[in-house]
Amino acid sequence: MQKDLEIKFLSDFEKNQNIAHKICRLYTTSRDAHNDLFQEITIQLWKNYPKFRGDSKFSTWMYRVALNTAISLYRKSTKRVKTQDISDVAFKIKSNDYDDTEERQLKALYEAIRKLNDIDKALIFLYLEDKPYKEISETLGITSVNARVKMNRAKEKLKNILNP
Amino acid sequence: MDVLDNYKKAWENQPEEVSKFSSIEIYKMAHSKSSSIVKWIFIIGILEFVVLNSLYFFIDMDEAIKEYEKLGLENFIFYSQIAAYVILFYFLWMFYQNYKKISTIDSTKTLMKKIIKTRKTVRNYVLFNLGYMALVMLVFTIATINVNFDEYNAKQILLITVATLIATLLILGILWLFYQLLYGILLRKLKRNYKELAKLDNLN
Repeated sequence: MQKDLEIKFLSDFEKNQNIAHKICRLYTTSRDAHNDLFQEITIQLWKNYPKFRGDSKFSTWMYRVALNTAISLYRKSTKRVKTQDISDVAFKIKSNDYDDTEERQLKALYEAIRKLNDIDKALIFLYLEDKPYKEISETLGITSVNARVKMNRAKEKLKNILNP
Repeated sequence: MDVLDNYKKAWENQPEEVSKFSSIEIYKMAHSKSSSIVKWIFIIGILEFVVLNSLYFFIDMDEAIKEYEKLGLENFIFYSQIAAYVILFYFLWMFYQNYKKISTIDSTKTLMKKIIKTRKTVRNYVLFNLGYMALVMLVFTIATINVNFDEYNAKQILLITVATLIATLLILGILWLFYQLLYGILLRKLKRNYKELAKLDNLN
């Protein structure tokens, strides 16, 4: 029984791990911290997996657990000072032409989002991932109206950082 | 078209993480030990209960009881100790219940609220202990003055009172500072984030 659950979890999570990587990239600034947070997210997902009923998509459920871990549970390690060398490979856009505009935009976007506070980061992340307001408000635990108000402000902040 | 729409397109086209983890790595990670804030709050909370209560082991109780009897305080100490233990178990129970209710499946705001509540239980216990300590010191001082009233002059009484007061405040102050530091480090980020979400509700 436990074994089946484990196999299902591993396959579900392995397929969706990119979501966790994106969150780690936004909330941490070094490779070590990235892996630390990823590990904590994995622990939390596995711990709560028996309660995952499957009435929502695994990815939807994962957004919530992973963001909660990044915002509320993860302690930033103080011993690490090295900042992440944003690997150019990580931002290579699958594109047919040689235009590197999107690549530069993506890099700038990550850098800008990292300057936002934890809550604004979550809002912008969910916006970029195309999540509906209903899901955003349920994930964060605020009303839809408040989610909209907060989202508009976060977007304004982000625009100001991107185009000062 | 919104400025952000361009960036959003870049986001959608971003490549997958290059250093992905294999199933085996994920398996190992899932079974490793959590080092989350919640776990630390639990450990530190339990330590606080243990430390505050093990202080009694360092006091020579026979000596202390003789001293209390001399001052006529044995009843006060006896009943207040019983009350203190009932209260201790109440706090321990509450602490465990709060801890158990913490779940990452909750919404971010509910989760943060529950973490803060768990911490508050221990804070209240510490406050109760500090209060109890202050009360014992106070009763002890009054009793000492009362018993030896004829031997002391007004100046001596004033001196004893002031000295005890300063000593009490100093001990309480140090304990309080230490406590604030302990949780301050752990919960600064969480509290800031909670305020960020909670202040919205006040706007509407």
